[in-house]
Amino acid sequence: MGEQSGAQNAWDMLSDEQSQKHITTGSGDLNDILGGGIHCKEVTEIGGVPGVGKTQLGIQLAINVQIPVEYGGLGGKAVYIDTEGSFMVERVYQIAEGCIRDILEHFPHSHEKSSSGQKQLQPEHFLADIYYFRICSYTEQIAVINYLEKFLGEHKDVRIVVIDNVTFHFRQDFEDLALRTRVLSGLSLKLMKIAKTYNLAVVLLNQVTTKFTEGSFQLTLALGDSWSHSCTNRLILYWNGNERYAHLDKSPSLPVASAPYAVTGKGIRDAVSSHHKRARVT
Amino acid sequence: MRPPAPSAASSSSYSQREPRPENPLLLLPSSRVTKLSLGCPLLDRLLSGGLPAASVTEIAGESATGKTQLCLQLALLAPQSPLSASSLFLHSDLPFPLHRLRRLAPKSRPDILDHVLVAAAHSPTDLLSLLARAQRLLANPGRSPHRLPIRLILLDSVASLFRADFDASPADLRRRSALFFQISAKLKELAYRHQCVVVVTNQVVDVLEGGAGNTVAWSSGRRVSPALGIAWANCVNTRLFLTREVDRDGASGGARRRMKVAFAPHLPERYCEFVIRRDGVFGVEPAERLERLECAGGLRSSYIYQHH
Repeated sequence: MGEQSGAQNAWDMLSDEQSQKHITTGSGDLNDILGGGIHCKEVTEIGGVPGVGKTQLGIQLAINVQIPVEYGGLGGKAVYIDTEGSFMVERVYQIAEGCIRDILEHFPHSHEKSSSGQKQLQPEHFLADIYYFRICSYTEQIAVINYLEKFLGEHKDVRIVVIDNVTFHFRQDFEDLALRTRVLSGLSLKLMKIAKTYNLAVVLLNQVTTKFTEGSFQLTLALGDSWSHSCTNRLILYWNGNERYAHLDKSPSLPVASAPYAVTGKGIRDAVSSHHKRARVT
Repeated sequence: MRPPAPSAASSSSYSQREPRPENPLLLLPSSRVTKLSLGCPLLDRLLSGGLPAASVTEIAGESATGKTQLCLQLALLAPQSPLSASSLFLHSDLPFPLHRLRRLAPKSRPDILDHVLVAAAHSPTDLLSLLARAQRLLANPGRSPHRLPIRLILLDSVASLFRADFDASPADLRRRSALFFQISAKLKELAYRHQCVVVVTNQVVDVLEGGAGNTVAWSSGRRVSPALGIAWANCVNTRLFLTREVDRDGASGGARRRMKVAFAPHLPERYCEFVIRRDGVFGVEPAERLERLECAGGLRSSYIYQHH
């Protein structure tokens, strides 16, 4: 493929046996710091300021989880729980198109119409394999998470649950803060159990807030104290000048590390400055 | 064709029915009207069709950058557009600019003002009770058969609501934040359950240092950021930033105005230049700006200035 020795692109990594358990993010650099991609059986929290790309990454994962096994993916379906209306279908369609274009580029002998039983490489099919829930209050959020166990028992092909985003409805005034903490702990335990039981990735998108600690305002993840212990992995998305970066802040096995990424018309991809060589289709 | 949604009554209580997933295919634009055109092909191109329903769009900018003008324009476009809707105009700045609305209204449609409902909001709690009333109005459209259903909600401006009652202590900022989320959740619920376009205007504050690339801009020689901080930024889906820059070349007709997409889940960060005329806000190509100020109407081929 004309790669420089030692450098893999995201598609090479997909064809490794081990990557079956990971969901590619679309960016080779991001996959690198994540040890291949987002892990199944684990809860990953992804936080960042508005506009940095949390929803873009959430949607990218809901699409990439569907990449058929014959192209190095998991061939799974996605549950997307939208708590504040960020899921814009026209964008999901674009990202699905981008993913399909890349598949066809790297597997030039495949056809858009695959044989029966295999997933057709059409954006509509990728959209149809996302189970989309829209919730409007914290009670609806609790209800849908409680319902998930039953739903996932009936839909064993789901390999990712994305919640976008997990804290929005809990940031209003709660008269009983202790109750809020108990509810959030309950939800996080449930989500951890779901990840392990159903061998899927749980991705929780979270907002960033300013917290007054030790005499000054600092940027921190919303309701951090309630969630911090329950997520296996934490990825912080941030701006470095005009570039987007992801910082792996917490992981059971991987070192803390940062990597640049880009949000393009096709979805999440390597930043222009990336060392990963791959043909770029504009 | 609307997606199946729980009734408004169940929104604040634990629903006994099982949640049901929606099929994203049904949400594709071809299935139903989902965007409100701004009445200008260039601005519509910037926004990929217009302002989306089931979503909260913020329009932030210094004073006199066109925020209120755009809101008035949208209120008048809604009944004539495929959305075919009335609008609810909630204003916190007094008084409501009725004369500007009248001047913008098309002479051929004297009835159009019937489809603009106006209410004043004096405080955050005031706004919340207005939104509760709006919820009942939206849930019972049959009670006002002579008026088109409300599918556009405008709030001009959110910043004015929070000017008076809050100082900068951490406790007050937390209290203010909590209200942002309460207001936003209500607006988003109305937007989703009734497929409404929601527009909120916001003022700007000076920023001395820091701030991420998409939240800071230069306007009138000042480095500014939308007001109400990162907490409120977390409460809107799309942020549009209106800026103005006085031309260095003094021979031009006026300020260079830009509408920039600061962030949006469905749009790239890019901008379009525009002008404010007697008959409304319209996008222009950079070279056309001077001619646009003089000629009456008729926009040329659409072309968006891509800024990367």
